[in-house]
Amino acid sequence: MDALNNLMYGFGIALEPINIAYVFAGVFAGTIIGMLPGLGPISALALMIPITFSMEPSSGLILMAGVYYGAIFGGSTSSILLNAPGVAGTVATSFDGYPMAKKGQAGKALAIAAYASFIGGTVSVVFLMLVAPLLSKVAVSFGPAEYFALMVLGLTAVVSLSDKSLVKGLIAAVVGVMISIVGIDMQTGTERFTLGSINLLDGIDFLVVALGIFALAEVFYMLLRGGDSKEGPRNAIGSLKLTRSEVGEIAGPVSRSSVLGFFTGVLPGAGATIGSFLGYSMEKKIAKDGDTFGKGNIKGVAAPEAANNAACTGSFVPLLTLGVPGSGTTAVLLGALLVMGVNPGPMMLEQRPDVFWGVVASMYIGNIFLLVLNLPLIPFIAKILDMPKALLLSLILIFCMIGVYGMSFSVFDLLLLLGFGILGLGMRLFGFPAAPLILALILGNIMEESMRRALQISGGDWMTFIDKPISLALLVIAALSLTLPLIKKRRRKA
Amino acid sequence: MNTSLKRLTLLALPAALLVGATASAQAQEWTPIKSIEFIAPANPGGGWDTLVRTMSRVIQQEGLADQNFAAINVPGGGGAVAWAQVARDTGNPHKMFAASPPLILVPLAGASRYDHTDFTPIARVITDYSIILVDADSEYQSLGDLFDALKENPNLSVGGGSAPGSMDHISMAGVAAAAGLDAASVNYIPFSGGGDAMTNLMGGHVEAVITGAGESVGQLGEGSQLRALGVSAPERLGGGLADVPTYQEQGIDYTFDIWRGVVGTPDMPEEAVAYYEELFAEMLETDGWQQARDQLGWIDAYQDSEAFSAFLDEQQEEFSSVLSDLGLLRQ
Repeated sequence: MDALNNLMYGFGIALEPINIAYVFAGVFAGTIIGMLPGLGPISALALMIPITFSMEPSSGLILMAGVYYGAIFGGSTSSILLNAPGVAGTVATSFDGYPMAKKGQAGKALAIAAYASFIGGTVSVVFLMLVAPLLSKVAVSFGPAEYFALMVLGLTAVVSLSDKSLVKGLIAAVVGVMISIVGIDMQTGTERFTLGSINLLDGIDFLVVALGIFALAEVFYMLLRGGDSKEGPRNAIGSLKLTRSEVGEIAGPVSRSSVLGFFTGVLPGAGATIGSFLGYSMEKKIAKDGDTFGKGNIKGVAAPEAANNAACTGSFVPLLTLGVPGSGTTAVLLGALLVMGVNPGPMMLEQRPDVFWGVVASMYIGNIFLLVLNLPLIPFIAKILDMPKALLLSLILIFCMIGVYGMSFSVFDLLLLLGFGILGLGMRLFGFPAAPLILALILGNIMEESMRRALQISGGDWMTFIDKPISLALLVIAALSLTLPLIKKRRRKA
Repeated sequence: MNTSLKRLTLLALPAALLVGATASAQAQEWTPIKSIEFIAPANPGGGWDTLVRTMSRVIQQEGLADQNFAAINVPGGGGAVAWAQVARDTGNPHKMFAASPPLILVPLAGASRYDHTDFTPIARVITDYSIILVDADSEYQSLGDLFDALKENPNLSVGGGSAPGSMDHISMAGVAAAAGLDAASVNYIPFSGGGDAMTNLMGGHVEAVITGAGESVGQLGEGSQLRALGVSAPERLGGGLADVPTYQEQGIDYTFDIWRGVVGTPDMPEEAVAYYEELFAEMLETDGWQQARDQLGWIDAYQDSEAFSAFLDEQQEEFSSVLSDLGLLRQ
């Protein structure tokens, strides 16, 4: 029971009064940061480095980790209430969270998000504690070829995300891939689709697109429909309570997505955003009522929320056991640890067990804090929907604009936001689904980069994708998930 | 985040005033009259950002200046967006940015209208060096082994943490050329950062990796999965890298600096440049700086404005010849 002893040791550190205060401050600040689009966990953590500099390394990491998973926890709120994702990892939550809010079940959606986040976070801490050192091998086993195959598997979700017309879904996905191409090409340094503008050299930020085609398009759509429409969020929060059958319904999705999310998080190139999409599309595929996903299905909220929090914890595996950051946020955390004199890496468990086990233990406490902090707040936060529509729409508008401007301080990005708002409105009016576009935008970039990297390493030999067992397995699963539904359909007809 | 930073700065301002300023001892000298906008031309977390935040913090903690250095991130275009912004602000003595080789490489690749000659170099502050790594189980024991293998099979992949034509690639091309290889024949695989490249090395997806020595310190030492074959420094580095031989020790006459410095607005007034030069030199002497510097694996490499300008000109010449060998020059 080595892990148990270590965990007890970790709790000894995490339960010091000062560290309990740091966990609380971290998750509290994180929740608020997550709710506001624009001020993401990366900027928040970078701002905190000077504060943590003089702290004990374990306390510093406890505080900063709290901000990180707190932000992922809190990010669901604006996705559900306003259709405006606060952080990239919670985009998938809005697919069913916002329709639930529209049906007058905002309270329930927020409660499910909180429970699912709590369980996803806690399950993955257990994994982190038990298997972190073993998993470092899994994390490095994913090279360019394997990432390509994983992204292909992710993209097959386009089929399940385009509910009415597969053709329209595929068109939206192609547009998403095209948007992901804009900017300097990583492999050759060539500018692509930048129209000579330096504003486009770094490509188009994912959140600009997400806020545009979800939140802004929603505002435009409601304006078009006029004031008396019933399309807008109904002025009711609804009950927070889940019935027993509802609990039974989400238990499966939450536990599957927690595990899936954790392993996605462990891969340095994947992370919370991809984890949440994979969780969502997996549940949609296996659910009997898959066709109600996107219309306010509680499983569609539970799955991505469990997955993104689990992935957030999972991303600590490569950070702490390899010293390799898997995302922008963990890169800032790594920088902060180095400044505090801790070298994350293979030797960290032996050299600084206080930091590792202290943080692991603090995550258990932090997740409980988050649940206790968020549940009583739901009725108050959800009151935002009781506002008169004119006020609510302006609020969403301001929210989006501050969010986008706060990321880059670029007026150009605000114009882009407007452009994507109009695009999103057009897509809604003509029945094009938005989710495939977003999914393709996220995956397209990594897919292209990984494919070309893999081919460059193999000297242009395409067999590299088949020779590697992980890559082959993922591609086979992808092929099966595309063809099985077709075969089933044909059998049913026959 | 910009606004919240500024707000923080305003709050901290009275404190900095109270601490007092050693640099304003002589009244006739120029001193800043408001907060200095200290720009990191990238997102939080990278090398520029770390330099800007560390310098700002040390200057404030040690009470070296009577005005605050406000760290501001202006990401985009590999620095080009920030450079375009600073270039418009001719003569402003309260604005400067952190710079490193991309200030020269990005314009040479044709991705920025402005290069170092459009700005006022203030001081070079630190340097890092390139390091070449292989897997701990690899058969390559020295740079000679690696380059022999590369000669035989140019398809062997060498990963790096930056785009083609950027720092890691130039550094690899330079050492390969010095070792007698055709620089353009190296199969350089760009990854999204040094960490990404090292993960791929541990997983056996590439043969070798070139990245910043500072970034690799955490990965080396006892129990490490990686082995360092050489550093691009003129002499051995200290700390965890003391065992790593230089290129020159292995008979390859090549060095490469990943320098970092501070560059000001176009035509920044001379007296302002003199003030900052002196301030940064003074900062390098403080305990707070030395502690942070050691933890981050940096090496002091101070040059004043004049020496730094001359150094940048040399760098431009050297890089443009490497880039043209690689066929990546686009001026």
